[in-house]
Amino acid sequence: MAEQFKEPVVDRVYTLNLGPQHPSTHGVLRVLLDLDGEFIVKADPVIGYGHRGHEKMGENRTYKQFLPNASRMDYLSGLLYNHGFVLAVEKLAGIEVPERARYIRTVCAELNRISSHLLWFGTYVMDLGGFTPFLYAFDDRENILDILDRVSGSRLTYSYCRFGGVCNDVDAQFVDMTRAFVKRLRSRFPDYDNLVTKNVIFIHRTRGVGVITAEQAREFGVTGPNLRACGIPYDMRRIEPYEIYDRFDFEVPIGSNGDALDRYHVRLQEMEQSCRIIEQALDKMPGGPFWNEAAAFKVRPPKGEIYFGFESARGQTGYYLVSDGSQCPYRCHIRVPSYGNLHVLTEVLRGTMVADAISILGSIDVVIPEIDR
Amino acid sequence: MGNTDGSDWLRLVVGLVIVLAFSQLNALFLVWLERKVAGHIQLRPGPKEVGPFGILQTIIDGIKLVGKELITPATTDRKLFPIAPVLVFMPVLVGFLVLPFSPELIIRDMNVGLLLIFAFSTFSVLAILTGGWASNNKYALLGAVRSVAQNVAYEIPLLLAVMSVVLMVNSLQFSQIVEAQSRVWFIFLQPVAGIIFLICATAETNRAPFDIPEAESELVAGFHTEYSGMRFGLFFLAEYTNMFIVSAVATSLFFGGWNGPFGFSLGIPGIIWFLLKTYFLIFVIMWVRWTFPRLRFDQLMNFSWKVMIPLSLANLMVTAIVVKLV
Amino acid sequence: MATRDVMAEKLRSVLGDNAVCVDDKYGAGVFVAATAPAARLLEVLGLFKETGFYLETMTALDFQDTQEIVYHLNCYEPLSRMSVRVLVEHGAAAPTASGVFTAANWLEREVREFHGIQFDGHPDPRNLLLPEDADYHPLKKDFGKVHAYRTREEIYG
Repeated sequence: MAEQFKEPVVDRVYTLNLGPQHPSTHGVLRVLLDLDGEFIVKADPVIGYGHRGHEKMGENRTYKQFLPNASRMDYLSGLLYNHGFVLAVEKLAGIEVPERARYIRTVCAELNRISSHLLWFGTYVMDLGGFTPFLYAFDDRENILDILDRVSGSRLTYSYCRFGGVCNDVDAQFVDMTRAFVKRLRSRFPDYDNLVTKNVIFIHRTRGVGVITAEQAREFGVTGPNLRACGIPYDMRRIEPYEIYDRFDFEVPIGSNGDALDRYHVRLQEMEQSCRIIEQALDKMPGGPFWNEAAAFKVRPPKGEIYFGFESARGQTGYYLVSDGSQCPYRCHIRVPSYGNLHVLTEVLRGTMVADAISILGSIDVVIPEIDR
Repeated sequence: MGNTDGSDWLRLVVGLVIVLAFSQLNALFLVWLERKVAGHIQLRPGPKEVGPFGILQTIIDGIKLVGKELITPATTDRKLFPIAPVLVFMPVLVGFLVLPFSPELIIRDMNVGLLLIFAFSTFSVLAILTGGWASNNKYALLGAVRSVAQNVAYEIPLLLAVMSVVLMVNSLQFSQIVEAQSRVWFIFLQPVAGIIFLICATAETNRAPFDIPEAESELVAGFHTEYSGMRFGLFFLAEYTNMFIVSAVATSLFFGGWNGPFGFSLGIPGIIWFLLKTYFLIFVIMWVRWTFPRLRFDQLMNFSWKVMIPLSLANLMVTAIVVKLV
Repeated sequence: MATRDVMAEKLRSVLGDNAVCVDDKYGAGVFVAATAPAARLLEVLGLFKETGFYLETMTALDFQDTQEIVYHLNCYEPLSRMSVRVLVEHGAAAPTASGVFTAANWLEREVREFHGIQFDGHPDPRNLLLPEDADYHPLKKDFGKVHAYRTREEIYG
């Protein structure tokens, strides 16, 4: 009789499924959590619910046909992905781009970055329980979507950048709307500061939470604001200057602790720096042609390969294109920043509480469809 | 003896009927108010279509909720699962019996009125635990367990704050407490206790920033995840009615109840003052909900045990000393 | 001396001059393109690890005659990307790099499920993106719609 009570009756650790349908997982993410009470013993992300086969499609479509695919991988920074793909192919095929197009593309890319960060800001604070900043952020974001809608015709997934330039020219109203938006966003930053950044509860939820050390970041290939919050000033716009970013004067904000609060500050400051880039680009924008259409008529890059890395809203994205001389790529591999950002969570989440897991997940800013491709 | 008994019983029955009707209307009104307040804080208008200013929205939503299927998952506890929503709602109704709406409009002016309300509000903790356990769902259980811990932790400073007022009035009877504030409201004499009471009241009703037990973004819906249709409606109703009760108690204890400011009633009947103050406090609670993010659970508990309780104890000490000296 | 030059020297000393190709102009987006035999792969990756590089990405290419795994590594200094290429026969296995870079854990899971290349010693060989019971390898050129299936010579000749 005594024997049957030697075994523990209840297993202390239980499994909780932070399921694919959950208000806080950004996209369809499933995390299998092994919990000991409130503490996480093991975190195992299960992904692939949004796999659409973009890389296989890349091998079966011409470079031009792949343009819409690029935006749809990370739909929140769709224009940045579109921009990056176009730059990669232009470099591989040696297509010239007029100056005006470069400035237009830079302005639109930075606008897209701001809109992605605004959405992140709204949803992050909403995950923490503060429902109101979400609507304020979306209100600002609507302005950006209106501006980009006017020039490109789409609100979320863009094929605005084309090989050799952009497909539509921008007019004076675009410039006016963008300047007005930058002014309005700058006036909103103090509101966000007072409502969120200085809020005691918010600071308690984010300070010291989810610390990623620089060593962990290197181990897992973390890039973007998450890496910069650890103190490493690694921004592709400075490290491998592409387009015309070397002509603009902007800072790369970094943090020091690598916790959620630092990641938050880095992204807010990045929005401000993007505003600076936009203003400088609008000031210096030259006239002239906006699309080198003739050169990009038949895109048939020579045999070879290229890896083009650029800074998307989440980190370093890379297009690895292998060309066999035909109209379709032989291999189109996309290196996505959320891959490493999510992977590092398997280590960071260990030992934290479930409520912190939500905060950390939100502060990392993952978009699952780009991991799934 | 027989005569008073008969009129007492009649008073009780009539009062109960009015209470039932009032609590439903109140809940309807509060849901509408919450949505409007939330809307305007979030730069949007809230319900507008149904009825003037969207007043009828809640009624329509209630009809929809009643019409929904009551889904009982197969693995729940057959007896406890349906009982939990009722258990949550009933004690809250009892609280109405002793609220001092005006000098004449107290259904039962018991000399332990305050004690009655707090005794019955503790019941809801049991009901939440029942609901979470009977659901046979890890999320619900987590939510229920958190709710119990939170409620127990925040009841202590709540009661200590109330004791400070009781010490000053020497009575647990609501009408006497309100009459003692005919010149000066207790919020001016006991500001610390008042603030502690309001904070703890927010925690007791599981409102943000203390809404971990039903944290939508973390636990789907906490302890009422598995409830659908009118059962969910009952949990909802109970929360809003509870909000009314705690605001009414706060009004009676700290803001003068049916008295006008500094004793000047300005010709407005007592019940109007009472309702005005109560609804203003409810508005403040709602305002807080839509402004702040929520506290993490251990921070919540730390706040109660390490800040609220010492503070309320100190307040009680000071009150006792002052009362003894004066 | 920049880290990338230090690394280029180390690679030359380990792999020989023939297998290491330095491109100052960064034409293909890499500073150094190195080819390593599978047997020395872990040694090379270990060198990268201790010199302060991180594993950016890893992918595989499918040719008619062979398969090729390409590792891209980068460090936090400007214009320092390097690629390491390993040739793997169809059906052969490669050593796992998850002991050197933890990022390789997931990257190898993905390469395994999409290209069918097994990794010896991988601690967790489950499917990452595809369903658990998927027994096909989508990115191989004998699966589904294929535009072109070439030999390695035709592209890199």
